[in-house]
Amino acid sequence: MGIALEQSDNSSVLRLSGAIDISCAAELKTLLLKALASGPEVRIALDGVTELDVTVVQLLWAAEREAARAAVAFALSGQVQDPVLSGLRLTGFEEFATTMDLFKPREVVCCQP
Amino acid sequence: MPTVSQAEQYKQSFREEAREILVELEAALLELNEHRGDLELVGRVFRALHTIKGSGAMFGFEDLATFTHNLENAFDEVRNGRLAVGSELVDLTLSALDQIRAMLEEGAEGALEADPEACARILAGVRRLTGKPEAKAKKSATPLMSAGAAGPVNAAEEMRKWSIHFAPGPEFMLNGSNPLLLVRELRQLGDLAVTATMDAVPPLSELDPERCYVVWDMVLATSAGGDAIRDVFIFVEDNCELGIEPVGSSANSSELTAPRCEAEVAARALEEPRAGPGGRRTYDKADNAASLRVPADKLDQFVNLVGELVTVQARLSELAVRCDDPDVAAVSEEIERLTSSLRENSMNIRMLPIRATFEKFRRLVHDLARDLGKDVELTLEGADTELDKTVIDQLGDPLMHLIRNSMDHGIEPAATRASRGKRATATIHLSARHSGASVLIGVEDDGGGIDAEAVRNRAIERGLVAENASLTEAETFALLFEAGFSTAKTVTDVSGRGVGMDVVRQRVDSLRGSIDVASKPGVGTRVTLRLPLTLAIIDGLLVSVGKAFFVLPLANALECIELKREDGERANGKRLATVRGELIPYICLRQHFDIRTKRPVIEQIMVVETEQGRYGFVVDQVLGNCQTVIKNLGRFYRHVQVVSGATILGNGTVALILDPERLAQDAVRSNSHGSCGSPALGARNGRPMDSTVVKGIQGFAGAGGKRQRMSNNDSTS
Repeated sequence: MGIALEQSDNSSVLRLSGAIDISCAAELKTLLLKALASGPEVRIALDGVTELDVTVVQLLWAAEREAARAAVAFALSGQVQDPVLSGLRLTGFEEFATTMDLFKPREVVCCQP
Repeated sequence: MPTVSQAEQYKQSFREEAREILVELEAALLELNEHRGDLELVGRVFRALHTIKGSGAMFGFEDLATFTHNLENAFDEVRNGRLAVGSELVDLTLSALDQIRAMLEEGAEGALEADPEACARILAGVRRLTGKPEAKAKKSATPLMSAGAAGPVNAAEEMRKWSIHFAPGPEFMLNGSNPLLLVRELRQLGDLAVTATMDAVPPLSELDPERCYVVWDMVLATSAGGDAIRDVFIFVEDNCELGIEPVGSSANSSELTAPRCEAEVAARALEEPRAGPGGRRTYDKADNAASLRVPADKLDQFVNLVGELVTVQARLSELAVRCDDPDVAAVSEEIERLTSSLRENSMNIRMLPIRATFEKFRRLVHDLARDLGKDVELTLEGADTELDKTVIDQLGDPLMHLIRNSMDHGIEPAATRASRGKRATATIHLSARHSGASVLIGVEDDGGGIDAEAVRNRAIERGLVAENASLTEAETFALLFEAGFSTAKTVTDVSGRGVGMDVVRQRVDSLRGSIDVASKPGVGTRVTLRLPLTLAIIDGLLVSVGKAFFVLPLANALECIELKREDGERANGKRLATVRGELIPYICLRQHFDIRTKRPVIEQIMVVETEQGRYGFVVDQVLGNCQTVIKNLGRFYRHVQVVSGATILGNGTVALILDPERLAQDAVRSNSHGSCGSPALGARNGRPMDSTVVKGIQGFAGAGGKRQRMSNNDSTS
């Protein structure tokens, strides 16, 4: 598991890898707030994620809404691994995955608000 | 195993239920067409289709079930937001309803047959919209009749559906519990449809990262019991909000927006037989427990019997008066009281709100608007007004013709509306309200109005009125309802106006009603049908002229005053009486019906309220109140407009029931047309015919034929 925040002049990339769960939820929240505050573009790279738990889903959901409010471009990027996706589906997060555009195969997506 | 007739009975009760559901479905669809994003309406449509499918399969309507299943799938897609409601879907579903209706009535006499080609077309359309292959009938939906008590039913009976609501508490995650694992564990028990709701997730800055805000709603189809489900949550029970309920009624489960799984549908189809055996199925609606479904003809029979009772009671009353025995009089009075309330009660049972009839026209307006390329909205007012069932049954056709007419000819094309500065969406307003003993049904449009000049010209062309005749507006518009009368050639290019309006008039006449048309060029037209509340029994006032008896409806009667012979002579033959300073025209029934008996010195004027104002009817004597069972005069006398029926008095004599409206209209007409000499109108309602009829009827009734002769071919209506 690991969270790394890379910031350049006008974009922040939050790289998640391994099992992201409640144990790093507090850290993730802090980093999300930091990334959003330095706006104008925030990307969450999910390539290496092997597990997402409910607290992380909540944080990403809240961050997406926060970004929309603050007019910060916010996107989840990287191809999410299949077991993670089907895990989300099986536990009822269909709406979340659809909203976050997780079902689309893509390499890097960056959406403008 | 049910016997053949029992099976047929089940089918019949399914048909009845399905018909009601189809009506509801159609209304919901049309409403959905106007409010396309309304999920509540989508849910209503889905539930209705689902019920028809489920019960249809159960009672052996397999084609119907398969067909409906495809539609249901389409609406499931809509529910899950994968398909948007468009006019194509609505139109497809509406035409599918027609096919379902046909499948439902298949085998019934005179029923339209379902058109396989149309069905295929509809299904192809649905497939195109949903992008899903056609669904075949499900194995689980085995008809009740053939399933018997064999294995599949038992095996599946253990299968139950559970609705589970799971909301972890604030401390939930701190104990190391993981809600996702619990949900996955539930999945091991059976088919699970699950939705996670994130509405409670607070803004990022306020969010406690170690708390679960998500709430889960699930439907689990499982053969495991409730305890097994509870066991999954055994360690977290104290730390969460948990609701586990077996899903019994279809209403509960379909509220859930969770994706539907096959097993759930199967479980429901199998659950329904248990809800109520066979023909005595219970209904979802709570208020149904307090009401009964009774075939209409049984009710008609009941009302007929009450009618007979009223007649016999009248005889008893008369007998009681004659034998002058206080005991008999007491019993007679008691029976009179009971009969009276029995009559009122039975009349009330037959009263239905007109809503169903009105709602039916949403479809007509929708379809016609599409065909004519006009944008029309139907608004309803007073749909809860109650009317006698017979009246409601007869009202469908006339209203349909009136609405068609309004949409065809009344409402202008969009361009014309725009140039007149009108709203692009035209309105047709259907209204119903009580007025005394009548009900007023209005059909109003905001279209171009009726061109009175064109109507008049056409009438002159057809020789209906004299060229120099001066017609009031009402008289002009009344011409529209003449048989075969049409201004189509001169007013619009669309034909067919003549027949429809004639149907309206005939129907309304047969209901003893009247039609009033008001129209303003460029503003719109309003047609008002005035119909009697009930057709079977009325309260009347019994009067006599010579040896003849007449009944005037009490609802119209205002007062009764004396007319001395010298008063009549003083007025120079101008039939006007002064009642408290007001001049009231009167009609002398003796002369009107050509009754040649000696005129009494003092006559009575019954003052009656009509649409033409107050009118007096001069009679010899006013005998008193009477409850009157209306008997039809039969087809031979159907052109006699001033008599709305006949009744049999206590002593067996026949009395004619007069229609004060018509009598007054006649008087007005004969006064105004007498001078300008219109042959057509004069002959149709003129005196000679009325008096002949009255004499004819009174003649055979008085000559000892009495009851038997009349009741052989009559019937209460």
